[in-house]
Amino acid sequence: MAAANETRKAETKLAVAELGEKYKYGFVTDIEMERAPKGLSEDTVRFISAKKSEPEWMLQWRLGAFRRWQEMREPNWARVHYQKIDYQDSYYYAAPKSQSNKPQSLDEIDPKILETYKKLGIPLHEQMLLAGVAVDAVFDSVSVATTFKAKLNEAGVIFCPISEAIRDHGELVRKYLGTVVPVTDNFFATLNSAVFSDGTFVYVPKGVRCPMELSTYFRINAQDTGQFERTLIIADEGSYVSYLEGCTAPKRDENQLHAAVVELVALEGAEIKYSTVQNWYPGDEDGKGGIYNFVTKRGDCRGNRSKISWTQVETGSAITWKYPSCILRGDDSVGEFYSIAITNNYQQADTGTKMTHLGKNTRSRIISKGISAGRAQNTYRGLVSVHPRAENARNYTQCDSLLIGAQCGAHTVPYIESRNRSSRIEHEATTSKIAEDQLFYCTQRGIPAEEAVALIVNGFCREVLQQLPMEFAVEAQKLVGISLEGSVG
Amino acid sequence: MTSLAMLRADERAKAGEAFAARGLPHRRIEEWKYSDLRNTIGANDVSAAGSVAWSLPHTPQGLEVLDLSQDEIPGWARAHWGKLRGQGVMEDAAIAFSTGGLALRVPKGTAVREPFHMNLIAGGHGRVLIVLEEGASLTLVETHDASQALVNIEYEIALGANATLQHIRRMPNAADAVRVGTVSATLAKSACYRGHFADFGSKLSRLETNLTLDGAGAEAKLSGVAVLAGKTHADVTTHIKHAAGDTASTQLFKLVAGGQARGVYQGRITVAEGANKSDSRQTAKGLLLGERAEIDLKPELEIFADDVKCAHGAAIGDLDAESLFYLRSRGIPEREARDLLIHAFLADAIAEIEDEGLRAEIWRAVEAALVYAEAAP
Repeated sequence: MAAANETRKAETKLAVAELGEKYKYGFVTDIEMERAPKGLSEDTVRFISAKKSEPEWMLQWRLGAFRRWQEMREPNWARVHYQKIDYQDSYYYAAPKSQSNKPQSLDEIDPKILETYKKLGIPLHEQMLLAGVAVDAVFDSVSVATTFKAKLNEAGVIFCPISEAIRDHGELVRKYLGTVVPVTDNFFATLNSAVFSDGTFVYVPKGVRCPMELSTYFRINAQDTGQFERTLIIADEGSYVSYLEGCTAPKRDENQLHAAVVELVALEGAEIKYSTVQNWYPGDEDGKGGIYNFVTKRGDCRGNRSKISWTQVETGSAITWKYPSCILRGDDSVGEFYSIAITNNYQQADTGTKMTHLGKNTRSRIISKGISAGRAQNTYRGLVSVHPRAENARNYTQCDSLLIGAQCGAHTVPYIESRNRSSRIEHEATTSKIAEDQLFYCTQRGIPAEEAVALIVNGFCREVLQQLPMEFAVEAQKLVGISLEGSVG
Repeated sequence: MTSLAMLRADERAKAGEAFAARGLPHRRIEEWKYSDLRNTIGANDVSAAGSVAWSLPHTPQGLEVLDLSQDEIPGWARAHWGKLRGQGVMEDAAIAFSTGGLALRVPKGTAVREPFHMNLIAGGHGRVLIVLEEGASLTLVETHDASQALVNIEYEIALGANATLQHIRRMPNAADAVRVGTVSATLAKSACYRGHFADFGSKLSRLETNLTLDGAGAEAKLSGVAVLAGKTHADVTTHIKHAAGDTASTQLFKLVAGGQARGVYQGRITVAEGANKSDSRQTAKGLLLGERAEIDLKPELEIFADDVKCAHGAAIGDLDAESLFYLRSRGIPEREARDLLIHAFLADAIAEIEDEGLRAEIWRAVEAALVYAEAAP
């Protein structure tokens, strides 16, 4: 116990020391990689599928997606600008070589990878017990280690890499995969369906309350590899699961593409809480480099009285294009979206949510806080749609924007559609800057301007930060400060 | 003046080509997402509609009214004619398929006391140019007739420093009519544009107001009510651009949809870089009375300056059950209680109209329209 305490202390010191750095996760682990040939073709798709020893139906599913994707056009309606992506100039599969023979325990894992995670501060060892977190760490494309499997097994919870689930729980995956985000949904989701390399699968059986917070850590490591994870979470009747997703990526000059798909299914009476802290590399002060984060996330409240709650803290990525949504199909189902999106320097974010009310007495709540600094552009784009059968549907939306500096932009594009008269929808939005008197008050009491801004911004975000699980809330608060470095003075 | 005739022919030909190339706007075009013109009217009916005709019963003192189909037009009209318009397809249609147009001018420092009435007596396409010089003011009251199948008017408005225009549009119910209006206005320093409308439903009506607040102190005040029944459709689209700092805009729209009617509001506010101390407020509320009625709202903010105050609010719902219960518990019959609440819902938007007589007229029209809106489909 004492030794574990010592290690924790040392790590805390290290973590604090690293906070001072501009982007503390900007390092590259030098590991031999196994890659698919560059470019995208049916062969690439077959290669990935073969690498994963997938059943035939999965290959056909991928190929169907790929053929569809070839006919699709990249969407251009979002308020983001970037150079055209050359989809043939990228690797679609990269796995650490030493993974060819799967490790049986943590000790067998490449020490360099463990070192990487240590720098990221993931508690992969004993600290995990104290933290109560099971981590399915995705290192580039292959899940490196899955811990706490035994404890989860006891509860009947399946928490494993999706490639494993396709092999071991094929029927379950086949039943739900692509039912929330159809293969044909959108350009990036279709691309993902064709080439996704790994991701996470969670199944919580009937009536089970998942004994711990599940967590996945994504990390883009190898150069020129897009990361295409696929996450599928199914909460069976009356179950509950809280899922944490964190992302950091090392520093690179070229832009890297990240096109993930996340599907959530909540059956009758089930609840899924999905929290994200996204801290991919945002590019440097001149807007060079950074991740393109084009993600499709959607939850389906399929059963009556089900609930899906999205909480996201988006501080990273050069470009974010992401709309975690809820389909409120079951009667009395609830959808929630809490979001903080921080953009600085040349970052661009176009993010928001869709709440589709189909069932009776469905309720949704949207709280969005956008913060824009430097020369960044931050857009909230959302849809609240009440269908004719959604008797007594309710929605409340609040989206606030905060501008720091004269050259950034903050935009709000909400769509509100109601086709049921018994429903009620309310939407409010404000845009403002940090008040001079607040800043003055802080600096006058000896708080440096930059810290004062972080303090005020944290206050502005409070309603969302409160929704995060504790482990994430602390990190998120720190991130808010780090992301805004250099935005004042 | 052959050169003028040639210029006109050239302008019309270009607009005609643009219209032919783009076709009627439809729901796949973002700006027309909620109002599909292509599904409502045929392109041939649009190109064959000809020019509108106005009846102008009285020209008040201080106002200059000009028919732009004549051979010679004065410099002030030439300076603005065709230069203030936006890039809309329906503006192209108005230019391509109408001949001439109407130009209004109020010279520098002149306040026109009486309102100027423009009554539409024949449908088709039309163009209106309004030039208010420095310090001038005018109230314009436009009334549409119920009998026209298609009305498509393009307005170009230039407001000089300290000029004030009050622009009121009344559109009685015309279940078979398609009505499109596109207003493009630029406001110089401390100018004020007050646009108000009352729309009682047509097969499809769309009033698009695009304002550019170009000088400090410029102000836009927009308000409107739509009371819709049957299968009517009303679309209010606005784009207010705060191009200069110290500008203000307020918008207040109330849409009531009964039967299977559809009310639409799309409003965009843009605050340009450097337009600090801009203040903009945008409120759009929908009241759904019909079981199959629909309301769509899209209040958009596009902000490139940090020292601004921008807020928007939007809400859609039925009459508040608790308020209704409160009134009924005090012995007010349901019918009357509903009426009271609907009146309260609309009141602040109608109160924006300055002229008391006009307000009273609009209230009378609202009352008549509500009878239909409250009736079952």
